[in-house]
Amino acid sequence: MTARTDSGASTGTGSRELPRWLTRLPLHLTVLVLMAIWLIPTIGLFVNSFRDPNEVTVSGWWTAIFPPENFSLSNYEYVLGRNNIGEAFINSLFIAIPATVIPVFVAGFAGYAFAWMRFPGRNVIFLTVVGLLVVPLQTTFIPILRLYADLGWNGQFLAVWLAHTGYGLPFAIYLLRNFMSELPREVFESADIDGAGFATKFFRLAIPMTIPAIAALAIFQFLFTWNDLLVAFVYIGAVNPDNLPLTVVVANLVQSTGGGWQYLAAAAFLTMAVPLIVFLFLQRYFVRGLTGGAVKG
Amino acid sequence: MTSAFAARKLMAASAVVVLLAAACGTSATESPATQPPPTASTGPTDTGMDHEDLTGQTVTVIGTWGGDEETAFLEMVAPWEDSTGATVKYTGTRDLNIILSNGIQSGVLPDLAGLPGPGQMAEYAAAGGLVDLGGVLDVATYKNETAPALVDLGTVDGKIVGVFIKSAVKGLMWYVPSVLGAGTAPATWDDLQTLLASNASKADAYWCVGLESAAASGWPGTDWVEDIILRQSGPDVYNSWWQGDTKWSDPAIKSAFETFGDVVANAFGGSIGVNATAFQTGGDALFDSPPGCLLHHQASFITGLGAFATHAAGTDYDFFPFPDINSQYAGAVEGAGDLFGMFHDTPAARSLMAYLVTAEAQDIWVKHGGALSANKNATSYPDDIAKRSADLIVNAQTFVFDASDLMPQEMNAAFWKGIVDYVSDPGSLDSILANLDAVQATAYGE
Repeated sequence: MTARTDSGASTGTGSRELPRWLTRLPLHLTVLVLMAIWLIPTIGLFVNSFRDPNEVTVSGWWTAIFPPENFSLSNYEYVLGRNNIGEAFINSLFIAIPATVIPVFVAGFAGYAFAWMRFPGRNVIFLTVVGLLVVPLQTTFIPILRLYADLGWNGQFLAVWLAHTGYGLPFAIYLLRNFMSELPREVFESADIDGAGFATKFFRLAIPMTIPAIAALAIFQFLFTWNDLLVAFVYIGAVNPDNLPLTVVVANLVQSTGGGWQYLAAAAFLTMAVPLIVFLFLQRYFVRGLTGGAVKG
Repeated sequence: MTSAFAARKLMAASAVVVLLAAACGTSATESPATQPPPTASTGPTDTGMDHEDLTGQTVTVIGTWGGDEETAFLEMVAPWEDSTGATVKYTGTRDLNIILSNGIQSGVLPDLAGLPGPGQMAEYAAAGGLVDLGGVLDVATYKNETAPALVDLGTVDGKIVGVFIKSAVKGLMWYVPSVLGAGTAPATWDDLQTLLASNASKADAYWCVGLESAAASGWPGTDWVEDIILRQSGPDVYNSWWQGDTKWSDPAIKSAFETFGDVVANAFGGSIGVNATAFQTGGDALFDSPPGCLLHHQASFITGLGAFATHAAGTDYDFFPFPDINSQYAGAVEGAGDLFGMFHDTPAARSLMAYLVTAEAQDIWVKHGGALSANKNATSYPDDIAKRSADLIVNAQTFVFDASDLMPQEMNAAFWKGIVDYVSDPGSLDSILANLDAVQATAYGE
């Protein structure tokens, strides 16, 4: 897959070194095999989403491919035909986008402050924030519900945005602070000499250099909020079903006795479409960002 | 039979104070000083439909119904919406506990909600969260139209706080008429064994059993054991058993497990097949050619699931009631249902609650199939099978509620697991029962 150069032809004399593509072959084969194994369940799900439920229970999805079974779009038709599914899709976007943007913004400011600004108690505050990572979010439901009840926020998007912001911030701050503290000190020192203030250094230097980490964080946070069922359900479910996101509506395609499971595969692929697009657009940042906070702890 | 027991652990004992405070606060602030008169005056034959104008008001409802059930529920409330001008906002979830246990402590609750089970209903009622329906329903009509056992289950300290707006009969024996012959109905357990033996050559095995149900795996086996106890040892033992007074190691319970063990020993797919088969598709082998099994034991709602859903009721499949084992306890029936309660006493919520239990509303519900009504006067069943299932509840000499659903969550979960363990290793019955005894000793202590 890499450079298929003219190494074989140009040496002519029968090189002792194997051509590069040949030495890399085992690696590529391994990667391909791992990828295939990783993808198999998804492919199976995808195939089954076009099959009749009675067929699914008696034969494996692979038997449906050769010879091709009577695939149908009926599962997709049912899912798309549910009258609240379009609304739920919009709701999911309404929830996931602000719930991604807000914590990334706040974490950007906080990460910079923790990395480059000197103020009393900096380390204590940072450790406290990072320590919040271990608090299970389930324990916060009751106090926050009561708080929202006093404010009349239950059932509104705002409630979910703020909840996701709170739940996401410890990790977001941790990631961005660590990435920013790796930035070269000289850049900031020379900016100081040129008379730049904190705002200039933040917007003109820190942010542009932190883009890979911010992109990775945005992907993480978007995936988390898009796929979230519990948080949205708890803060919206009891009082305002009109604002429920796609995950809750999809989960409820299944009946109380477990009937209707065949629609889940189709619904899963519809739900997956948005994260997939986001990932494809930002994927080059993704791998870089994964190791972003890992160098210095 | 729904799972969802994890959230219940949140209800620590220390939270009771909070819970009381929250619940009292809610009902105190949300109850309007003047209530519209209850619908009792409309008379027993009237539908109970409130004709007051509730335009612009909304009622939030949470229930376990999803997919087509949700569609049926929304159709059921549509006439009420048209008549009153109010709107129903429905949320479906199979995990009611997460909303209700958080809600009862935070005060953020829907107006009407399905309740996970009688145990939780009693807790919510004790906490003051549930509205006494005595002044909401037409009580005389409700009692007249509903099986007394179901009325009792919704009553806490003499107050009706929960109603069954959907029910199911457990312990039906499903068969294919073209295999066993139409109208098959062995009266006793011995007759049933004779029937199976004489038809042994027609199928791979006698029984179809499917126990897999995610976190609740094993529950179809609990229905088996309950049905056997009820008919072997009678309702008194049955009741004292789920109440925690009869031990699991008691000969009556052990004998029921062993009878169930005989069934599993003659089940399609062997013990691995039994544990690995999803309950929704547990009876599908009935329809195979040649059949995998002769009989499948499952509740009335199986007609909407698996291969049953795509076969014709009455012609492709039929049922007979669980045969009597000990003639002394003939005519006993086990059932289950979805409890429904009211958390906020608003005019629209009262009106909707009163409407939901009426035969008029229930008729719309049962017409969709897969559901039975707890209301005797709801008769618009789509087929003879559903009608006969409903009649079983109405005509039962002894009606008991699903025992495992009545047990404390911890006991129920241990029961599920005990069934799965017993199926995979029948030899370890004594240690399984000893373990259930140990759970019983603590689970009822709260």
